[in-house]
Amino acid sequence: MNPSSFEYFAPKRIEEAFDILAKYDGEAKILAGGQSLIPLLKLRLTSIPYVVDISRIEELSYIRESHNELHIGALTTIDDIENSASIRGKYPIIFDAASNIADPLVRNRGTVGGNISHGDPSNDMPAVMLALGAKFTIASARGDRVADADGFFIDTFTTALKYGEILREITIPGRGTHEAGCYMKNKKTAGDFSVAGIAVQIRFNNSGTIEKAGIGMTSVNPKPIRAIKAENYLKGKKVGDSVVREASRLVVSESNPSTDFYGTVEFKKQVLAKIAEDAIYMATDRAEEN
Amino acid sequence: MSSYFTRAKDDLAYNERVFVEGRGHFVDDIIKPGALHMSIVRSPYARAKILSIKGGMSSKDLGARMASVGEGAMEGKNSVIQPVFATGYVNYVGEAVAAVFADDRYKSEDLLDSVEVEYEPVKPVVSIEDALSSPPIHQGLKSNIISEGWRGKEFPDPASPIVLEDVFMNRRIATNPIEPRGIVADYDGKVLSVWISTQSVHSIKEGLCEALGLGPDAVRVMQADTGGAFGSKGGLYPEYVIASFAAMKYRRPVKWIETRMEHLSSTSHGRGAKGIVKIFAERSGKITGLKGEVIVDAGAYGAGMGEFASRFIATMMTGPYMIENAHVKSTSVLTNKVTLGPYRGAGRPEASFFIERMVDKLADELKVDPVDLRILNSSESKFRSPLGMEIDAAKPFLDQAVKELDYRRKAKSTHNIGFSFFVLVPAFAPGETARVKVDGGKVSVWLGGNSHGQAHEVFVRKLVNEELGVPENLITLYRGDTGMLKDGVGSWGSRSAMVGGAAVISACRKMKEEVITKFGKYSVQSLLSGAFDVYVNEEQKGSLNSFGANLATVDIGKLGSVKVRECAAYYDVGRALNMDMVIGQIQGGMAQGIGQTLHEEMAFNEDGQLLTASISDAGVPLAEDIPNFEVKVAQNPSRLPHGAKGLGESPTIGVPTALARAIEKASGKRIRETPIRPEHIL
Repeated sequence: MNPSSFEYFAPKRIEEAFDILAKYDGEAKILAGGQSLIPLLKLRLTSIPYVVDISRIEELSYIRESHNELHIGALTTIDDIENSASIRGKYPIIFDAASNIADPLVRNRGTVGGNISHGDPSNDMPAVMLALGAKFTIASARGDRVADADGFFIDTFTTALKYGEILREITIPGRGTHEAGCYMKNKKTAGDFSVAGIAVQIRFNNSGTIEKAGIGMTSVNPKPIRAIKAENYLKGKKVGDSVVREASRLVVSESNPSTDFYGTVEFKKQVLAKIAEDAIYMATDRAEEN
Repeated sequence: MSSYFTRAKDDLAYNERVFVEGRGHFVDDIIKPGALHMSIVRSPYARAKILSIKGGMSSKDLGARMASVGEGAMEGKNSVIQPVFATGYVNYVGEAVAAVFADDRYKSEDLLDSVEVEYEPVKPVVSIEDALSSPPIHQGLKSNIISEGWRGKEFPDPASPIVLEDVFMNRRIATNPIEPRGIVADYDGKVLSVWISTQSVHSIKEGLCEALGLGPDAVRVMQADTGGAFGSKGGLYPEYVIASFAAMKYRRPVKWIETRMEHLSSTSHGRGAKGIVKIFAERSGKITGLKGEVIVDAGAYGAGMGEFASRFIATMMTGPYMIENAHVKSTSVLTNKVTLGPYRGAGRPEASFFIERMVDKLADELKVDPVDLRILNSSESKFRSPLGMEIDAAKPFLDQAVKELDYRRKAKSTHNIGFSFFVLVPAFAPGETARVKVDGGKVSVWLGGNSHGQAHEVFVRKLVNEELGVPENLITLYRGDTGMLKDGVGSWGSRSAMVGGAAVISACRKMKEEVITKFGKYSVQSLLSGAFDVYVNEEQKGSLNSFGANLATVDIGKLGSVKVRECAAYYDVGRALNMDMVIGQIQGGMAQGIGQTLHEEMAFNEDGQLLTASISDAGVPLAEDIPNFEVKVAQNPSRLPHGAKGLGESPTIGVPTALARAIEKASGKRIRETPIRPEHIL
């Protein structure tokens, strides 16, 4: 199918984008990589009179480290993230997620900011950002503001972004010496939406006790959320079979999947329990290798 | 008229160029100046009263009903004929309610919103069980059963010690050719010209003539390059009648190209069959009797294959085995879903799934090797099954298959192994037509069945060359065209190389006689120096079957994901007319067999809404699902002059059953349906 007609803007500077958004008060929509919006338009599930394509704003595409933090421009493509040596080396949790998003065609166009801003509970990056405790720099004509990933995801397809705002940067806090993460998801076929996904980031102290754990979940709640009970439980524990089993049980207790074509509630919880265990072990192994 | 495949030196290279690189001339490539583009307003409800329609073309403008043509419709007229436009009420999500036309596709899709349809939703009948317990979905019927009958004779339960019963389901799947359906229609005041993506221009013409009340001279149907069909492009659909009617009404060319979403909701689905099977057996493993029932989810109307499919499946329920007593009930029921049509195998895979699953179950019950059980129940000589199938001697082939597939050795080293055995009964009768014409030193050929990716030109060139000695580069097979060949059947049911090939040979032999009559003796030079034009309708009676066997091994992941480790085939293809084409047919079909078994499904919720409305949800197999295929063939020639046997449907018959068994062994969970979802085996 073809979309209904719309007016298209492709500003090269973020200020221009603010002006266009302001001009069409409430009626314009931001397009980044287009991997979610274009299908919605093509299938005529929605129609939008004004589309503001921000993909040419080059200043929003970067990956850089400073003050021990990782800064990712919102328009950085998933492919760029997948191919970043520093991300792969220091934040394998982000690499895991990036390299398993849909297929290479989608990853070439799709952006990390779009993946987060769309508010789709089956997108992978939100869970990763929750597990990492990321901060989002949100730009608007009034200036920048900073929001925690935790609290950013309000409901299905609804985030804390207000009309006129553009996600500028994702800031990942510095990584501890004995810290690593892992993202795992289960999908029926390559390129498909996931049945369930889980992001786990764990920081150990020198004696191998968990100092801090961050856990985010994909596709098993109406919005991306943290598994807070499991995070709290893991704090102060050492990784072992019974601890991992209990953490996995707590993760599942914090999920609220629904039965649909991708599986029954029972199946999704079984999948989540299994990948939660695997992800905790994998994160632990990686932290030990650091 | 454009050349089908213009004298390529290398057939494979040309075929690849057309169909892999997308350089064919498909329906959407046909540009007619001044053409209107058509878009269809479709029902969002599975069942609803239409209270009013404002705008667009609808049943008040075109009250025609759909003629029943093509594969599966040949057994007689269907009892519940589909209206072209939904009339009074809608009966499935995606049913055509109205049509709009504009200068381009963007505008016609915009116009969809201008049509206002008021519906009053009614509770739909979605499952086979609902259909049997609910009042009929159409007024004037006594029940939702549109066909019912028995195959075989009633027999008292044998006094055999083993009695096993089970219930199976092959869920509906979409045919999903890469190119969806499409049509261009144009009318010059005298003749309606139609260009279409199809398996049979003759079926389409027959259907259009009947639906629009036109004489045979007033309609010409021409095939465009056709990018796959798998059964879904042999019959008539509402859009074809609407586009033709609109071309005549507006006196402008009308084009309609199906979207993938339309394909999933509004092109006939395949499979959708439930089997209830009871077998009786001795402790030795000898099966003494089979009783059962086949119930087919025919969809909302009798169009397509739904009405006939249950009887066809029931006829094949004993598979290749020598079972002396069998009695099977066949029932087709109406549901509020798109009509059921043929999908590669068209009843054959369903029947094979039901019997093969029972043979495996019997093997488990007796704790014997399932292949030994198959050998024990196979016949040394040909026989007629109690359900009416003529079956050649099965055991010699099976013995060989066990060796060729290296079953004994593999079964020792792998627990997760499945083996299937089947007999393919292709659509042999009533034969096929061909026209061979010599003019200007070149040979032109038309076939009654139309190639839609199988590369019929390869066997046509080979057979004409063998019969007449003409170099292959002077022989051209043209696309289907009712203006060039007066009648024909169609390309489906594993038939084209068999019956189409036989027709080409027959035409060539007649032509040779004409050359001899004219010149006293035959030579290629005298043939090519003259002008000859021979048409034959090469009729075929009875049946002609071929055997096949598959072997599959799998690994199952912790979360119920299946990795097909190995998938092997050994099929009797008769004389292979071109080995590359044979291998290609088998590999493509094996991929589809894997798709049906692991992922493919057209699923509906209780409101009759299609849950699998996108190509990713439809579950088509991906590269990661496909193992290395091992393909071997036996070449036992058939009784036809060129020795060919049917092949096209073999892989979709044999692969799901072998794979289901391998998954059953690997998971320890009894497999009763396709697709096999991870939650079934976790």
